[in-house]
Amino acid sequence: MAFVDLLRFCVIALYLLGTATGVAGFLGRRNGLLKTGLWANGAGFAAHTLLLVAALGGGPLPELAPGLSLQMLSWCLLAVYFMLLWRFRLPFISIVAPPLALAAFVWSLSMTAARQAEMPKALVGLFLGLHIGSLFACFGLMAIAAGAGMLFLHLNRKIKGKEKLTGFRKDLPALSTFDRVNHVAVVSGFPLYTLGLISGFVWAKLTWGRVLSWDPKEVVALVIWFVFAFLFHQRLALGWKGRKPARLAVWIFVFILLSLVVINIFVPTHHSFTHSA
Amino acid sequence: MNQTVHLLGLNHRTAGVEIREKFALTDCDPLEAGLFPLDDALTEIMVLSTCNRVELVAVGPDLDSGGGAEHADAAESPTARRVLELWAAARGESVADIRPYVYAYSGLDAVNHLFKVASSLDSMVLGEPQILGQLKTAYRKATAHGSTRVILNRLLHKAFSVAKRVRTETAVASSAVSISYAAVELAKRIFGDMGGYSAMLVGAGEMAELAALHLVNAGIDKVYVANRTFARAEELARQFRGEPIVFEEFPRRLVDVDIVISSTGSPSAVIRARDVKDVLKRRKNRPMFFIDIAVPRDIDPDVNGLDNVYLYDIDDLKEVVEENLAQRREEAARAEAIVDSETRAFGHWLKSLDLQPTIVDLLRTGEEIADRELAKTLKRLGNVDDETREALQTMVRAAARKIFHEPICFLKRRAREEASTRRYIDVTRRMFNLDGDEVPPDAHAARRGIGAEDAEGAGSDGACGPGEELDMDLDGGLDGDLAGGGDLDPGAEPKNSGGPFCTGGRAEDAK
Repeated sequence: MAFVDLLRFCVIALYLLGTATGVAGFLGRRNGLLKTGLWANGAGFAAHTLLLVAALGGGPLPELAPGLSLQMLSWCLLAVYFMLLWRFRLPFISIVAPPLALAAFVWSLSMTAARQAEMPKALVGLFLGLHIGSLFACFGLMAIAAGAGMLFLHLNRKIKGKEKLTGFRKDLPALSTFDRVNHVAVVSGFPLYTLGLISGFVWAKLTWGRVLSWDPKEVVALVIWFVFAFLFHQRLALGWKGRKPARLAVWIFVFILLSLVVINIFVPTHHSFTHSA
Repeated sequence: MNQTVHLLGLNHRTAGVEIREKFALTDCDPLEAGLFPLDDALTEIMVLSTCNRVELVAVGPDLDSGGGAEHADAAESPTARRVLELWAAARGESVADIRPYVYAYSGLDAVNHLFKVASSLDSMVLGEPQILGQLKTAYRKATAHGSTRVILNRLLHKAFSVAKRVRTETAVASSAVSISYAAVELAKRIFGDMGGYSAMLVGAGEMAELAALHLVNAGIDKVYVANRTFARAEELARQFRGEPIVFEEFPRRLVDVDIVISSTGSPSAVIRARDVKDVLKRRKNRPMFFIDIAVPRDIDPDVNGLDNVYLYDIDDLKEVVEENLAQRREEAARAEAIVDSETRAFGHWLKSLDLQPTIVDLLRTGEEIADRELAKTLKRLGNVDDETREALQTMVRAAARKIFHEPICFLKRRAREEASTRRYIDVTRRMFNLDGDEVPPDAHAARRGIGAEDAEGAGSDGACGPGEELDMDLDGGLDGDLAGGGDLDPGAEPKNSGGPFCTGGRAEDAK
């Protein structure tokens, strides 16, 4: 599989370049670097897409290649990143999404054992599309919402405290823009998250015969859902804006990271990316 | 005979406002009124007069050879003395009255001073850009009256491009240095694009009016004006095409307003925190920005403690302005380095305006082109013995030299006639781009496609004129130079000399 290895190497190299130049360009306020970062990320994303196509189209589907779900997470992060960049023209997300995508991709390569899926073949596509797809798209949105939230909180404190804005802060978009990103992420992220959970439960019912198996990851996912539902409600019904939704978005993303990273590594779970339960 | 730039002037530092009023040249167009007739001692002049300064830039013969003369000497040259006399006479005063307030520079000092003025390093508020517009207007008037020629044309174009460099390469003109503008910058930090937002003036003071004007310029949707004297509210509202509000009404209208500028004379707070809390609930927490420029303050400081509400009072804004000014002063040092290097470059150009350096530059250009083409040909031919190579080199270089033979003879003939030398040298330098000036693709956009002859002229100018975003300036400059110069002798021209020379000659004939 020399071709796949080469692709993997390209993806990592390009994401590394994109992340480094993107972050440096943003903090050092260099447009040239920012542009280089964008191109590198774009090229890496193309290679990444090829890799996924090769993985999904090549082998029989039920046998998920090692680390494939993490690679898909990485891919979703960048897909959301490009979409938001195109839609809102916000250079600041260049310091949020690409580093996370790079981390997820590198982590995926450390996976070795193939995962055994115990389900009817016909349902695998549905499982992938609904459960993983919607959840990962939501994670991507929340990653960017959390980045926007942190920058909002920082800038808000500076403006309220009447401090001078220096360096890269001068190039940050207005507070209202960060709030708009939060709005988009919450309004589209919560339905995606709900869909992801429900499809997961349905699939669990079909394969294991029970909806909930009190797996640690499932418990955290439910907690996240409740916090998310609270934020969704406050934002849409009560018109929450600014500081509070920004803070909640950051917390939700922290929980998501917790469920993805900490639980996968330290707690036995049948949602592990590495081996079957 | 060597021509030198002289600069005389007074500004807000050397003269008080009464003096500046007394010696300003703003009430009429001094060049149109013929106050500064050109003669042997004064070959070019431009007059800049604003409320803060008068600058007279003149070109005349330089009797002592050394440039950069002392301050006292600079005012004693015949050109400077003549300009000073004319200036005093124009205002009906004596030279002795005006002399103590006037500074005089000559040579590169004058160039340096003009570059500083254009870059706003000499302005009362460091970095404010109005002076550049005023300078452009002054230059346009001077070219319209044909009182600028080779040296001032080049000097002013350089001044404009130096100003542009300073503006883009340093932060000397960045960030707001007036209270009302600082408020608008902050509003942009909070709301971003101003479209779709609205503002309310509570109390119609002058500073509030100015801030509202900035907001309207930034594209704000609607302005409400609440004032205790309703007639004043109506008057202001009309000015901004806004809506006047009865003063007692205004708390109820706050729901629709994103930016509140308060400047009433009220001794106690007009807007309290708990009122704002209610308003905020009703407007679903959409952010609000309160600008309190009243003393004593109109708005309860606790308002700033609420989420999605931002409050700046006059002291906060003053602090912002102070910090921005300090930053501008730091940047001024870098700007002056740019001005100094551009001054040196202009000095080089002034020296090159003689015949000898131009001939050397012409021949060097020809040789370079010949060698470049030879190298290409040799590469294509492959292996060539040394003898052939030498023969080829001799041939192309000779051809290049011969091409420049007639132009050089022409320049030498013109050099015997004092008056027209510089102009032809300048045109030659521009025609062959001997100074390596860059020409932006949009140069002379205004002049393109006006007529067949003009279009042709614009085509060639487009490849060799200096200056950026200065269509009209260079336009006027070149035309004033060639057609309006008045000392062009059509009879001395070879019959088939092309382009603008012909046009200039015919224009003279027709007169």
